[in-house]
Amino acid sequence: MVTRRRMLAGLAATSLLPSAGWSSVGTPDYLSAARTQNGTYLLAGLTVAGEITFTIPLPARGHAAAAHPERAEAVAFARRPGTFALVMDCRDGTIILTLTAPEGRHFYGHGAFSADGSTLFTSENDYEAGEGRIGLWDITQNYTRIGEFSSGGVGPHDLKLMPDGETLVVANGGIETHPDMGRSKLNIPVMQPNLSYVSLAGEILEQIELTARLHKNSIRHLAVRQDGMVAFAMQWQGSKSDTHPLLGLHQRGSKAKLLSASPKAQQQLQGYAGSVALSNDGGLVAITSPRGNVLHVFDTETGQPSAILSAKDVCGIGPTATGFLFTTGTGHIGTLSEETAQHPLQWDNHLIDISHNR
Amino acid sequence: MRLLALTTSFLLAQPAWALDPAALVDTAINSHILPGFTTLTEATGTLKNTATEDCASDSATLRAAYHEGFDAWMAVSHLRFGPTEEDERAFSLAFWPDTKGFTPKSLSKLITSEDPAVLNAEAFAEVSIAAHGFFALEFLLYDDRIQSLGSDAYRCTLIQAVTNDIDRNANAILADWHTGYADLMRTPSKDGRYTTDLAAVAELFKTLDTGLQFNEEARLGRPLGTFDKPRPLRAEARRSERSLQNITVSLASLEQLARILAAQTPTPAKSLKGAFSLALGHATELEDDPSFAGVANIQGRLRVEILQQYIGNIRSFVLLELGPALDVTAGFNALDGD
Repeated sequence: MVTRRRMLAGLAATSLLPSAGWSSVGTPDYLSAARTQNGTYLLAGLTVAGEITFTIPLPARGHAAAAHPERAEAVAFARRPGTFALVMDCRDGTIILTLTAPEGRHFYGHGAFSADGSTLFTSENDYEAGEGRIGLWDITQNYTRIGEFSSGGVGPHDLKLMPDGETLVVANGGIETHPDMGRSKLNIPVMQPNLSYVSLAGEILEQIELTARLHKNSIRHLAVRQDGMVAFAMQWQGSKSDTHPLLGLHQRGSKAKLLSASPKAQQQLQGYAGSVALSNDGGLVAITSPRGNVLHVFDTETGQPSAILSAKDVCGIGPTATGFLFTTGTGHIGTLSEETAQHPLQWDNHLIDISHNR
Repeated sequence: MRLLALTTSFLLAQPAWALDPAALVDTAINSHILPGFTTLTEATGTLKNTATEDCASDSATLRAAYHEGFDAWMAVSHLRFGPTEEDERAFSLAFWPDTKGFTPKSLSKLITSEDPAVLNAEAFAEVSIAAHGFFALEFLLYDDRIQSLGSDAYRCTLIQAVTNDIDRNANAILADWHTGYADLMRTPSKDGRYTTDLAAVAELFKTLDTGLQFNEEARLGRPLGTFDKPRPLRAEARRSERSLQNITVSLASLEQLARILAAQTPTPAKSLKGAFSLALGHATELEDDPSFAGVANIQGRLRVEILQQYIGNIRSFVLLELGPALDVTAGFNALDGD
């Protein structure tokens, strides 16, 4: 349905929409999945002020979304081990298409577009082999599945397009799962997570593994700075008697730098970072811990902690100009300095920044 | 850069607590955890001594000691926090699921190369974790292919090394409970692993739920596979025909923990009693299919699926009734794990 995939050429185009949709309340800066009070699920557009610009019902619990670089189009992914992803027109919430993972694959909940918006890359599980795959979908052919390649590890989760537009960075969490066994983790004692840089043709260009002592630190979520610095958030799968860093920064060609707060503050994270974001000025990086009900902010230059904020069930986080906007499972939305909004919704894991997509 | 306040606190709800969480923790430690691990060390001690005297893989006394040890492990296998997580002890005792066949591979390698690590407990502790524990022992006692490899003498020494290592791990876990971890849970402190009694209750609650989940999703989900593709060969401990036994022993122990945690809250206690009795009752009807080979046909599959649903039913009472009653229900995102 080529006619429905309209180019968004500024405000003039929006005003031509037949339905008022969210255009009457403004353009969303972020996307987030949520659970409603009656137990149904949706995807919402949010402004930096915490206002909801649109909601679209989802058939099951969502996880993250990916925004098209040009069109006002987003793909919302089912929560692991889901097999659906919805392509949506973000101007009016119309569902353009439902993507279904191929036989023997399921989505992990994250995806990324190529710079020209012609290809969508999705993190997937080849669950019989227990190997991670990146699925390729051709947007110019109405999101046809056109191929896949190795993610460079087991359990790929988040993936992002690097600023060069030619490389994907993939967080291979290292954890093997199989949909027949729900979300049970099958290989913790031998897990081997990595951060992989992969060309758009599937060539593994560079891989970072943490030291053997940290092999149970599952690398899950990513944020990328304009200069190519990658921030990665981790989830510790081993004993909780010691604390471990849950945030790392990496520049290609160099070693990863791991960031920690004081042991006591680190302990509060409960070994679990749910999301990561970099402020738009690149000066700050933040991770959220819904288990610890806390958010840690670090200075990217010094690697030192710069703020700690308590917020119950905080998880989603996205950039603002010099800081962050976060969302919680209790419906709150806030910045580092104030609570900005509250909705009768449980905001899900991720707050996806789409402000650069317009 | 703008300096930010180091600790700002808002959006934190204070839970109300009308019960006595310290008493729940105390009972769980005294009546469930410590007796469970004590029984385990007794059984692994017997297993080690039996193997020292008679290491023939078809020895009836050795096989009986293996089953007794495995039962004792299953009764505590859900207690996956603290002492079991140090030095990979729990995984050393039970490396399963083994999706990539590391256990037979590691054992084959040891046997065919006659690796001298089996002669020394410390050296053996360093070999692949997949060659340790009850599942490695099961291969050595029940798997035809492993038994056809190498020499009887080497496999005998390997069996003794595995049982010795099982006993060492079981004792290390119990020792940690006695020399610190029990006190850590009983006496929460601001800087400790548990900051409140409620946090210790939450740990026990989580262990109950994940124990049930493992039975439902892994021990039953793995052999069930899908309707079109059942996977009987993926049943846990099928070689020694104790797939069902593992579940019934685990469930009986989880019921004990659930009863302890629900002791101050009558409504969830009643629901859980009914739900456990339903599942354990149905499990007895599966006794003619101890390794879930029946999942390959429709009738057999249905019976195993029903057991899975009954365990799911217990879980929903744990999550929907017991959790809120104890005020330990984690948040929407905190529970997600992604």
